[in-house]
Amino acid sequence: MTHADLSSDPSPFSAGEWVDTVLLAGDPGEVCLRLVSPVDRAALRAVVGEREAALRAAGLGAGGTVALRLPPSLEFVAVLLAGWRIGAQVALLDHRLTEHEVAGALDRVAAQFVVGVVSSRGHRLCGYAEVVSSVTARPGGLPARMPHALVQFSSGSTGASKVIARTAGDLVAELDRYDRLPGFPRRGERVVVLASVVHVLGLVGGLLNGLHAGAELVFPRRLTAEGILAAVAGGDTPATVLGVPFHAELLTSGPEPAPVPLLRRMVVAGELVRPEVPPRFRERFGVPLGTMYGMTEVGVIATDLDGDLWPAVRPAHGVELKADGGELWLRVPASPYLGLADPTRFVDGWLRTRDAGAVDPGTGDVTVLGRLDSQISVGGLKVDLTEVEQVLSGVDGVAEAVVLFDGTVRAYLALSGGGAVEAVEAALAGRLAAFKRPRELVVLPVLPRTATGKIVRDPVVLRAARDRADAVAATAAQA
Amino acid sequence: MAAAQIPPPDRDAVLAMVAGYRDRAPGEVGEKLDSLELTWLVAQVEQRYGVELELTDEVFAGMATVTGAVHALRAVLPAATGG
Repeated sequence: MTHADLSSDPSPFSAGEWVDTVLLAGDPGEVCLRLVSPVDRAALRAVVGEREAALRAAGLGAGGTVALRLPPSLEFVAVLLAGWRIGAQVALLDHRLTEHEVAGALDRVAAQFVVGVVSSRGHRLCGYAEVVSSVTARPGGLPARMPHALVQFSSGSTGASKVIARTAGDLVAELDRYDRLPGFPRRGERVVVLASVVHVLGLVGGLLNGLHAGAELVFPRRLTAEGILAAVAGGDTPATVLGVPFHAELLTSGPEPAPVPLLRRMVVAGELVRPEVPPRFRERFGVPLGTMYGMTEVGVIATDLDGDLWPAVRPAHGVELKADGGELWLRVPASPYLGLADPTRFVDGWLRTRDAGAVDPGTGDVTVLGRLDSQISVGGLKVDLTEVEQVLSGVDGVAEAVVLFDGTVRAYLALSGGGAVEAVEAALAGRLAAFKRPRELVVLPVLPRTATGKIVRDPVVLRAARDRADAVAATAAQA
Repeated sequence: MAAAQIPPPDRDAVLAMVAGYRDRAPGEVGEKLDSLELTWLVAQVEQRYGVELELTDEVFAGMATVTGAVHALRAVLPAATGG
């Protein structure tokens, strides 16, 4: 047997052996990854072994801390598994973050080592990069203070990133939830991975589940509709496409493609899918567009892989959810946050999801209605508008600022001391990853305020203020 | 090849293609394109022109506005389509 039964495995997951028993076990000749070329388990074990030797030589040991700043790549997979095999705590940094954001994150986790890119090849629309990495010791880094294997960052409403930590046991428990989902890909099937393996959906639902369950992971050469369908057609086993709603929109746009008989289904998560898309997908491909609901803190929570329940999703095995005051709460054994965190997020064994939703009292099915805080999702990547607003307000030359989402991230700001909007844009580019930056900076003489002096956040009022400012400028230009 | 006969997209054509993402009206598309819109645009152009665009990071960065995208596509498409 090569597929560990996670429901009864009593082995301790805090040490590194779970990587071998849960993820890397299996027929050495079985292809487990397909990037530039196919990678079988023997080859993956070999490259993981090489990276493990390099990390150990640099000084990383069990209980140590290492941060990965790598794009999705074989290198990322190998270094991640190597770090875990050593028994280290691995923090994942999205490679699109700015130096400023990375420095803040590294300070928060006090990583002892950073693995970064020395050189990288890969087209912008390629589903993977070819990376040469190097490991660097970081002065002032500290060993792990808690027995977590994985540390991730989420844009935080307090301005600073939230630091989310998960134990190996927690990751294995999530894999067990996937094991119990009828229809989720396993041995003899393929997964075409479009979701980033640096984030929870692509990482656990894609990469770790594929390695654990024996499903071959295919990373398309091109993240276009044609490229995705070519990846599906490029094998001889059924394929599930795993992505975010953007990818489903892409596949349902443009001319009707040739039949894709190996496509079993597509599953999307990360943000709500538009109502038009699931029926359009089924009509076009004859297979379901399934959805999943999850969060970085816990991974997969509820699913509708067959698209029968849309917009509802059914809680995965062992998941306990409740709706309280219109908000979804999730039972979790411990707070998933490391360090400073909002004390109201985890209360008496319940995690506030900050998602609005309802639980059907009869079936237990859950319908997620949207966010209750200032977090939005851009292509599955979480962006907290409060963080964006705080960074913008802190830029020299910005007197005050409001950041809103009205279909797009838009900032209204007033400048001080003869500041120029170009300088503000340049400063933001150094501090916020591109996906977090406002699409438009609207400069007003002053921001509108309520009678009590609070800055107005109503988009209608702000748009009217902009129209007035534009009219004044046009009049001045004519004079 | 028929695709070589199609001229590179002008501003209206670019706006119309970007608007296809989430079924918007072209008027709802702003001047700045985010990375999803840009990915969408490149995918639509590849499909329409039957080409694979190998865009450098510099060219990609220059396409972050509608105007920049129109200019960049004008520069890369004739070569890509052989036209």
